[in-house]
Amino acid sequence: MQLIPVSRGESFAFATMLGIVVLLAVVPVARLAQEALAPGGSFDAAVLARLAETPTVWRATRNTLIVSLGGVALAVALGGAFTLLVTLTNLRGKKALVFCFMLPLMIAPQVTALAWINLFGPNSTLLAAFGLAPAPGTRHPLYGPEGIILLLGLEYAPVVFLAVRAGLRALPRDLVEAAQAAGAKPWRIVRTIVLPLMMPAFAAGGMLAFVGSIGNFGVPAFLGIPAGFTVLVTLIYQRLAGFGTSVLSEAAALSLLLALLALGGLALNSWLARRRDVRVTTWTTAAPEWSLGRWRRLVEGACWGALVLVLVLPFLALLATAFVPAIGVALTSRSVTLANFHFVLLDHAATRRAFFNSATLSAAAAMMLVAVSVPLGYSLVVRRAAVLRAVSFATELPYALPGVVLAIAMILCLLRPLPLLGFSLYSTIWIILVAYLSRFLLLALRPVTNALQQVHPSLDEAARMSGARFARRLATVILPLVAPSAVAGGMLVFLTAFNELTVSALLWSSGAETVGVVLFSLEQAGDSVSAAAVAVIAVVVTLTMMLVANALASRVARGVLPWQP
Amino acid sequence: MKLATKLLVLTVVVSVALAARAVAAEPSGRLVLYTSQPDRDAQQTVDAFRKKNPGVEVEIFRSGTTEVMSKLMAEIAAGQPRADVLLIADALSMERLKAAGQLQRYPEADVGQFPADAYDPGKTYFGTKLITTGIIVNRSAPLKPKSWADLLRAEAKGQVVLPSPLYSGAAAIHMGALNAAPTLGPGYYDTLSRNAAVALRGNGAVLNAVASGQKMYGVIVEFMALNARGKGSPVDFVFPIEGVSVVTEPTAIMRQTRNPSAARAFVDFILSKEGQELAAAQGYLPGRKDVAPPAGFPEVGTLKILPVDIGELLKQDEPNKKRFAELFGG
Repeated sequence: MQLIPVSRGESFAFATMLGIVVLLAVVPVARLAQEALAPGGSFDAAVLARLAETPTVWRATRNTLIVSLGGVALAVALGGAFTLLVTLTNLRGKKALVFCFMLPLMIAPQVTALAWINLFGPNSTLLAAFGLAPAPGTRHPLYGPEGIILLLGLEYAPVVFLAVRAGLRALPRDLVEAAQAAGAKPWRIVRTIVLPLMMPAFAAGGMLAFVGSIGNFGVPAFLGIPAGFTVLVTLIYQRLAGFGTSVLSEAAALSLLLALLALGGLALNSWLARRRDVRVTTWTTAAPEWSLGRWRRLVEGACWGALVLVLVLPFLALLATAFVPAIGVALTSRSVTLANFHFVLLDHAATRRAFFNSATLSAAAAMMLVAVSVPLGYSLVVRRAAVLRAVSFATELPYALPGVVLAIAMILCLLRPLPLLGFSLYSTIWIILVAYLSRFLLLALRPVTNALQQVHPSLDEAARMSGARFARRLATVILPLVAPSAVAGGMLVFLTAFNELTVSALLWSSGAETVGVVLFSLEQAGDSVSAAAVAVIAVVVTLTMMLVANALASRVARGVLPWQP
Repeated sequence: MKLATKLLVLTVVVSVALAARAVAAEPSGRLVLYTSQPDRDAQQTVDAFRKKNPGVEVEIFRSGTTEVMSKLMAEIAAGQPRADVLLIADALSMERLKAAGQLQRYPEADVGQFPADAYDPGKTYFGTKLITTGIIVNRSAPLKPKSWADLLRAEAKGQVVLPSPLYSGAAAIHMGALNAAPTLGPGYYDTLSRNAAVALRGNGAVLNAVASGQKMYGVIVEFMALNARGKGSPVDFVFPIEGVSVVTEPTAIMRQTRNPSAARAFVDFILSKEGQELAAAQGYLPGRKDVAPPAGFPEVGTLKILPVDIGELLKQDEPNKKRFAELFGG
């Protein structure tokens, strides 16, 4: 309740923040919709009609739905099972298990795809050692929809895990205890009480996995293009890469289709959540820990075995490829060479530039977003107006929409020279920075608003009554309380931006490569060994950053870094 | 207060540093090269050029010929072309650029040692090498093909990969050459697609597929196959008996270049004896008559080259690509 009049400084700051959000989040999406529906300024369905008649588009849409739904099913099964095991039983080593399980989320999808390709190809050194290598002349087993579903499921299982774990943390203990007192066995309790209560959490996780899958570029690009299996995202990419900006309207229309699919998933999730009207009487956070008894060793072995299979083996295959001089050469003590690493780190200017660009862009985006999110979060939470909900929704769009869609929106907005400055940001590195700011605003803002919602308004009001101005209040009262969350949000932005490919795949130009783009280009050009070297370096960098973030974990707010238990 | 100040200072410093980097990225002597050469070869070429011209900073943009061209055209349409000098696979794309008035003439280029049909008479673009397209074979393949017709045999069903003319300039010229060849003709690609051949994006993907053992036979440019074989990949290369198609990988200066002197120096280097010897060392057949070809190549005189009429091919290019997309799915 605003009983104290708002100062001028605060209104000005609020208006500026709102303006920034509108520019970063609302304008690109609106421009995209306009280009798809009314390219010439008036409503013109010609582009849509033309696309509706192209069988390629329908095939791509059908393929998108097939792999996404398949991926979601796999992710829900894997993520749900893992969550139940980790949260409800007395497994040992949970911290390490969770960290390893979350790795596919942090490691770039194109790196994962490359690693799996190297693991299962006919020239796989690892498989050849066991005599399991596919016969020469056979198509790669992972190329095509099955491989894409497998990798999408593995990649988004951590997302489902996060959603279901959050739900399990709020599991009401008294219902479980009542069932136990009545003599029900654990499996019965899980089936009849836990799972039904967790339906909204599963739905939320499944929806997140769905939205991620339809927008995923790295996996279908590596596993689908060589098999001629096109999904909407790769279709947009191929059109734009092959024909340039003359097909922007078409690309915008396809992006709108993709956005509609994403929104459809979101709407379905809301509907499902509303249908399940489950009310509980208490909220306790301690979930029951059932003993696995004799099965514990076996289950632990199975979990670690599965993680080794899914994480370690592909990475070893990647390493094996990075150390051979050319494709098809077996890795022996005579053939091992550091030439690929030498090439990508020292000779190939594009890779050096890419690492520098990615690091700079990610750091700049992280810092700028942290600087914006604190006053923005404060204005939103303290104001508590209907504006809060609208702005929340607006910031979710650029993150939820597929990266390719956002990239096209950025091209549309920034292709022509800027109004007052006279030069265009297209074909420079700055367009990528703007795209990152737009896309990751949510990652930086959400931890801050969550933290602020726990701050009692009396602190702020007391400072106000003592006469402190807006800037002073922000600096001395608010900032110390939200700094840990803000910094954690910044770290998350850095990690995500460093590895991303979907946005920069369409926005890069000479001199403005990112790590994801360079890896993709090298693989596309057939230089798999160099691509493997870049992938290995990217993995090492990501792991290092995650461990550094973990080391700072004690000073960082709980629940912000996704891989912490 | 301390943390906030630190954050604020950091943000300001980083923003300034980024801005300074952007400003400092335009010194005099910057050359932007758009090329479809493989990354390693392009980097080596640029490094050798920079040894002779240390004041020039070169930026490379590398992709398949079609992507390079579409990016180029997009930048020209937006009014901000970035390329200064080009080094792409085929003369077809160069002819298009020349027709659009986007190339700059360089009459003083030293072409004395090059055959007359290697460069444009109007001196807008200059062929730099002789790149032939032949057949790459995995060593464990049952059939050893000797001719283009061998790829149509039953033993090769589903085991052939070829680069797409929608991505690779060399593949586009190759399609034109085979269409015009008397014994093969336009029906060749139809039969090939009925034999379950698969179209991949570029020559690199073909190398990848055959060297890794996923397919047994591929249509590919010779230097990639021979280089891979030299490094230990289990592949062999065959010059088919009907003949091979040839692209000359021409270089040209853009009309809107911002650094004409450096661009000219680059073209001079590529056409010089030293630049051609570098190409030979990289595994290419050099264009200059006074530079020895790499070891293991047949004598240039013994190669049977399938002739291509550039003017005719320009007209046939779009219909060719459409037909290819229909046959092989693009």
